[in-house]
Amino acid sequence: MNSAATTDLETDVHWMPDGSARVVLRGWLTTQTTVDCWHQLERDLRGAKITTLEVDASGLQLCGGAGLALLRYLNMGKMTPHASVSVTGLGTELDQMFRGFTAEDYEAFRPSVKLKCQSLPAETGAAVRQTAADLREVVAFIGEIVGKLPTTLWNRKRMRWPEVRRVFELAGANAVPITSLISVLVGLIIAFEAAEQLAKFGAQIYVSNMIGLVMVRELGPLLAAIMLAGRSGSAFAAEIGTMKVNEELNALETFGLDPVRFLVIQRITAGIMLTPLLTFYATLMGLLGGIMVTLGLGFPLSLIISQLASTVHLSDVALGIVKGVVFGAIVSGVGCLRGLQTQQGPSAVGVSTTRAVVTSILLIVIADAVFSILFYALKS
Amino acid sequence: MSQETDIIISVRGLKIGYGESVILKDINFEVRRGEVFVILGGSGSGKSTLLKTLISLYAPLAGEVLISGHNLVTADDDERMVLLRKIGVLYQGGALFGSMTLLENVRLPLDELTGLPEPLKELIALSRLKLVGLGDAAQKMPAELSGGMQKRAGIARAMALDPQILFLDEPSAGLDPVTSAGLDQLIIDLAHHFGITFVIVTHELASIYNIANRCIMLDGRARTIIAEGKPAELRAQASDPWVRQFFNREPDAIHAAHPN
Repeated sequence: MNSAATTDLETDVHWMPDGSARVVLRGWLTTQTTVDCWHQLERDLRGAKITTLEVDASGLQLCGGAGLALLRYLNMGKMTPHASVSVTGLGTELDQMFRGFTAEDYEAFRPSVKLKCQSLPAETGAAVRQTAADLREVVAFIGEIVGKLPTTLWNRKRMRWPEVRRVFELAGANAVPITSLISVLVGLIIAFEAAEQLAKFGAQIYVSNMIGLVMVRELGPLLAAIMLAGRSGSAFAAEIGTMKVNEELNALETFGLDPVRFLVIQRITAGIMLTPLLTFYATLMGLLGGIMVTLGLGFPLSLIISQLASTVHLSDVALGIVKGVVFGAIVSGVGCLRGLQTQQGPSAVGVSTTRAVVTSILLIVIADAVFSILFYALKS
Repeated sequence: MSQETDIIISVRGLKIGYGESVILKDINFEVRRGEVFVILGGSGSGKSTLLKTLISLYAPLAGEVLISGHNLVTADDDERMVLLRKIGVLYQGGALFGSMTLLENVRLPLDELTGLPEPLKELIALSRLKLVGLGDAAQKMPAELSGGMQKRAGIARAMALDPQILFLDEPSAGLDPVTSAGLDQLIIDLAHHFGITFVIVTHELASIYNIANRCIMLDGRARTIIAEGKPAELRAQASDPWVRQFFNREPDAIHAAHPN
């Protein structure tokens, strides 16, 4: 019964002198034969000037879902808009299935016209409102953290230090290899580029001065923070987001446990304590990269160290560390906030992690700019 | 039709497991065209694993699965595609694509695998959705639906290509009795009107009595089939005491006989 000969469909169109037509279907109306039948009828019937069309289905041995759809389509007059169409000869069961989906059903269920494009002012307005609402949530979140951090910190049991230790290890210790690699390489690259330019003025010794300032004040904190945003901010958002999707956050709330106290405070504490250390480490590694290049240029280590010591002051180191604290708070806070804001649905967690990384890096750069302006204003 | 062609699925000497650990062995059974065949068993007895092996998502350690006489286990890619076109699957959670509306979900196999013209594809998808009672939800996203509606939508999608066999993994788990009964009725209607063969994994007793023509029962400890037959017969005459207890819902006895 699977042989090609018996699964064929014959489609005959008979034209009557009185302006009517008759379609006779014989054989198997499967998904495959329906396609061919459609093309034949489309060719013969579309645009034909007939008043009535009869579709004789009494010769059908099998009719699948596609076949029924074709009969319904013909019956609705979609192919012959000016003719009245009747489908005859269906077996009892097929007829019952045919009547199971009517033209009225089709009109009722089919997709309505696609949504119209919003006008530019409306789109702008919606975007502004969205941004304002987001900003409001951020401010409220900062307020919540500032309010809850001290009270939780003083409560040993609530603070859940083991969780802080776990995050510290995941986000800190495990990040050491990648931080080393990237920092050394960035230090190397910058030193190389600078050396080439400074050679024109015979001032290659100042490579170490430059790499010292750049690493300690800017790149150390930035590299550490960006690494943290990519590795851990996204992980925070994914962890908390998944917990929200799985209703774990609801479970916490019904125990009377505040998710912010239970999950967020620990991560922010770990982030704030961790990032200065990571910053310091990234700075040292960057300097190492720079020193390697300067040594390669033929300068003795003692000279390089003395150059560094004369350029980099304690205030610069302090600035780097303070930046680390602020960046750490931003990255861990944004990660947790985006996690808590996770919506329902399969792509929600992915959206949250993306938003966490993008927002973190944006805020880090903005904060860095503010630091530069402040430092400049304080010095002058 | 002869008895020979009446067999649509034939499972011979199937052995399923991961590496060294064997989950099921010596699995032999046959499913006849147009019947509702139920795979029973306690939690963790390997029901879903067996189902996933039948539809060739998992490769068995030994044995063969014949669908309409063709071995799905050893089939090459082309043969496999032809065989897969004959089956439809409803996964436990519905497995609807979350980024598409119901209509788009049902249309997907039609769009990807047939050359049908646009209006017919829409007609088929809408009529399938109406069949499972979800015509007016065609524009909804899966996340907007209840669990029962998602499962019904999953059945509509599984039926898009006129499959000969529908595999359902726990269709009525987690549904209220009314929705569950509605789903049972849908299965009976589809088997009756469309001649679709059903292979259903479940442990909902109420629905087994309603829908099953025949069933097999798996046992997690014996790791094989311990009973086969009509549900009512098994309830009355099964030799294995656990099978009778399963059908009579005697929790303590089950617990005593099978501590796991």
